[in-house]
Amino acid sequence: MTTKTITVDYLARVEGETAIEVRVPGDPSKVVRLRIFEPPRFFEGFLVGRRYDEVGDIVARICGICPVSHMLTAIRALEKAMGVEPSEQTILLRRIAALSQVAASHLVHLYMLAMPDYMGFDGAAEMLPFFPDRMQRLVRMRKVFNDLTAVVAGGRALHPIGTVVGGFTRLPVRGELLAIRERLLQIRADARETVKMVADFETPTLKGDREYVALQSADSYAINQGRLTSNKGLDASEDDYYNCFEEQQVDYAMAKKVTVRRRGGLVVGALARLNLKYNALFPSVRDLARTVGFRLPDENPFHNNLAQSLEVVQAIEECVEMLGRIELRQEEPRVTVRPGEGKAVTEAPRGLLHHWYVINRKGVVEKANIITPTAHNFVNIESDLHRLVLSMADQPLDAIRKACEMLVRAYDPCFSCSVH
Amino acid sequence: MERPRIGIFKYSCCAGCQFQLIYFQEHLLETFGAVDIVYGRMETSAGSEEGPFDVVLIEGAITESKQADQLKAVRGRSKYLVPIGSCAVNGGIPAIKNLTPELEVEQRVYSRIEPIHSVRAHPADEYVRVDAYLRGCPVGETDLIELVTALLLGTRPRMIDYCVCVECKRRGNTCILVAEGAPCMGPVTNAGCGALCPSNHRSCYACWGPMPGANAPALARKFEAMGMPPDEIVRRFTEFGCPTLEFRKGAELYE
Repeated sequence: MTTKTITVDYLARVEGETAIEVRVPGDPSKVVRLRIFEPPRFFEGFLVGRRYDEVGDIVARICGICPVSHMLTAIRALEKAMGVEPSEQTILLRRIAALSQVAASHLVHLYMLAMPDYMGFDGAAEMLPFFPDRMQRLVRMRKVFNDLTAVVAGGRALHPIGTVVGGFTRLPVRGELLAIRERLLQIRADARETVKMVADFETPTLKGDREYVALQSADSYAINQGRLTSNKGLDASEDDYYNCFEEQQVDYAMAKKVTVRRRGGLVVGALARLNLKYNALFPSVRDLARTVGFRLPDENPFHNNLAQSLEVVQAIEECVEMLGRIELRQEEPRVTVRPGEGKAVTEAPRGLLHHWYVINRKGVVEKANIITPTAHNFVNIESDLHRLVLSMADQPLDAIRKACEMLVRAYDPCFSCSVH
Repeated sequence: MERPRIGIFKYSCCAGCQFQLIYFQEHLLETFGAVDIVYGRMETSAGSEEGPFDVVLIEGAITESKQADQLKAVRGRSKYLVPIGSCAVNGGIPAIKNLTPELEVEQRVYSRIEPIHSVRAHPADEYVRVDAYLRGCPVGETDLIELVTALLLGTRPRMIDYCVCVECKRRGNTCILVAEGAPCMGPVTNAGCGALCPSNHRSCYACWGPMPGANAPALARKFEAMGMPPDEIVRRFTEFGCPTLEFRKGAELYE
């Protein structure tokens, strides 16, 4: 059989710019490349020389879909560096902000980026005349989550302005939060409908042994803080991040590749989280997962979409619960600048996100490193592409190309983040 | 104009302005109903960058020569070309790197710099003629709706071109610069956000970039008189839009 190369020059409906190159039929000595050609953005380079109170606003601009994750991860790393202890209230509000953004991000991926694949359309706008009800459902849900992010994180959902080192510049009013709680209850049905819609997508099957990595904590479905854990026995503090993982530059991509030390590729994101901390989900969410046929462990990367839809339901239930019991007391961010070093790891919508800073006695950044979910998934996306090609050896090139695109998309990668 | 044919080109940025356009903004379904996005790789796998287009929206700063080449080619295929968001309008956050020698910035991030072909970050109008500026970080909804409406009606869009102070006054805010001595960039920053930061107990940090003709040196001297150290004044004028003439004039007094 002759060898052909499938190339997707500029993958559509993902965040940022990448090409895919896969040689078929697959071979262990293969070329399988996620050629992330988006030009490097040098955030870690130009953060040097900026003061701690600018960092959150700057790193928000790494990503237009998960700015809150970058802000919260940077802020927590800086707080550790300066010995700032956020209040219980701040920790709770940050959890609400993060969950609202996780849900909003999953929804844009499910409806606008992924769904057209499964419905036979080029994009969401093309679907609008045929499935107006689905697009209206998206708009209804999105609005509630965006408003929640804006009310808590400050001013606007995209690059919010109230989230700073030490806490928030302005606290929400209890009435605002209760009003959004009511609206969350109204979109419960929409979110469950979304899970059923996604469960009906016909996905290829791609089994395989992978290392799933996610944060876990004893008392909750860990999002903003937790221990680094995996299904292969990893269990470490975020401060040991670099003892567990290493990142390496490759010549054909502007993103760096992350591996688990002495083991190799890893998977992060919604599916990894569900596989590792399914029992931390609300019972009602676990019931729904069972109803739509989700079984542990789920090793099909295409099911990341289903995992995302279940996390949207979980986010609603959690936010409803937290907003119902929150009592706000007036407090202001208090920060004493002092030199130090801090690392933080959080769960961004797409998975593990790490920020590390060294700051001097004036609070100015001297060193910075940022590792994004897509860099964590990079090695595994390529090995899954190879698995996929091997499993489709007898099929026409066009079908293989389409499946490769769908696979990369199912990971919900963010290439703009990855070349930060 | 009947259903304008729109092309969206993304350069170095967070893609938030595209998300604002296709996801976050209030009039999402109406926008989809009124225009045809015939090229936009984040929206659709259909279409080609060959156009022709009625309007091309440019997102992101130009940081590689091949981006500049494509930008120039695209200009020739479109009736109108509009940079959207701070990165494309004034350099935005990506242009912070221009303050440090390029090689040094690159070496801080990559151990091997051979595969890297980056240049200084510049706004779109450094390379091509542009027809309007859609400002904001992310782009403002008022301006966005004005632009789409003007296109449909065939009129000239009237974009917001005054400073944040005007919006603060309209909201009845007490001036935090005068009353509290807060280092607010409102007097030199283009409005459109609705005075978001001053209304939420913090100083404007100029994310929309300078208002045209802003008097940055006057504000920089005010900051000095308030006791702000020189390096801090420079940072205030270089976080967003440092390649602009307006903000350069504020920063260079204290560099």
